[in-house]
Amino acid sequence: MNKRAIREGIHDGLPIFLGYFTTALAFGLLTRSSGFSFVEGVLTSITNFAGSGQFLMMNLYNGGAFMLEIVLSVFFINARYIFMSASLSARLEDKKSVIGRIFVGAGTVDEAFAVASFKGEKLSYSYLIPLMATCYLGWVSGTAVGFLVGNILPEIVQSAAVITIYAMFSSLFGNEVSRNVKAVAVVGLSAVLNSLFILGMGLSTGLSFIMSMLIVVVFACFIYSDEEVFDNE
Amino acid sequence: MNKILLILLCSLVTMASRIIPQFISALDRLPRPVKKAMLLLPTAALGSLIFPLALTDFGSQWYAGLGGVVIAFIAGFKRSSMIVAIVLGLIATLLLLAL
Repeated sequence: MNKRAIREGIHDGLPIFLGYFTTALAFGLLTRSSGFSFVEGVLTSITNFAGSGQFLMMNLYNGGAFMLEIVLSVFFINARYIFMSASLSARLEDKKSVIGRIFVGAGTVDEAFAVASFKGEKLSYSYLIPLMATCYLGWVSGTAVGFLVGNILPEIVQSAAVITIYAMFSSLFGNEVSRNVKAVAVVGLSAVLNSLFILGMGLSTGLSFIMSMLIVVVFACFIYSDEEVFDNE
Repeated sequence: MNKILLILLCSLVTMASRIIPQFISALDRLPRPVKKAMLLLPTAALGSLIFPLALTDFGSQWYAGLGGVVIAFIAGFKRSSMIVAIVLGLIATLLLLAL
């Protein structure tokens, strides 16, 4: 293991730790108010490690959906990980380590993927695993603390905490635009389509997300030149 | 409903979609256009990850979500660190919620 890469992974993971921790506080609170026990709430984060998927699961659970509907929706909203995991897999320095790939696969979350995507052509386990472990610790510990502190947090902070996850995506968006202004068109179309599908057509969050992402990525491939995509790496 | 079973089934579909692609070697030799699409996926996903949920999560106070998103965008555009962007976004949302 390369110590410098490990430090870099943890360093890059810290902002995500903060974002995940605060968002998981909200998730912990949500599990508590939905009638989950402490063990059930924390187990959800330990075994799923999926922000939007877990929030979706709780929303549908509270809405009285059937178990199969919930699991299918979670699959839909998390199906993007198929692309993300394959993308990371193709860029691993050492493709032989089975354990390493299981860890990298299990730790493929949106923010870790996004950060790693802008990191360089080749990715090492020494960088990726500490990055993902830092995110994971933030998510699981935040859930536990959120469940436990419960009502201690002022109401207004509880209701504002959910913004942290969107602020994280939004800062990535700002960063992308500062690199290439075409990102405005891509991200804008993605936002408009997803809003149209969810609010206008009443599609499930998961299905809408997958459709928007796939349509927009085709659009993005047309407006970005090969040089802009591959040289930015 | 058995909550533990629900949690584990959700975990199964989530982890399968993350771990299985690691072992499909065909995915290692992707044609260039497919690789390009995969590299553009994060950007293509960003808009849908933010909207409309950043607004609808706040219900009638949707402007509080919008404020946080806008402030974090500006911070990101100015290449601030992500922590700074998140904290500024959180402060903006808190202020707007308190109005």
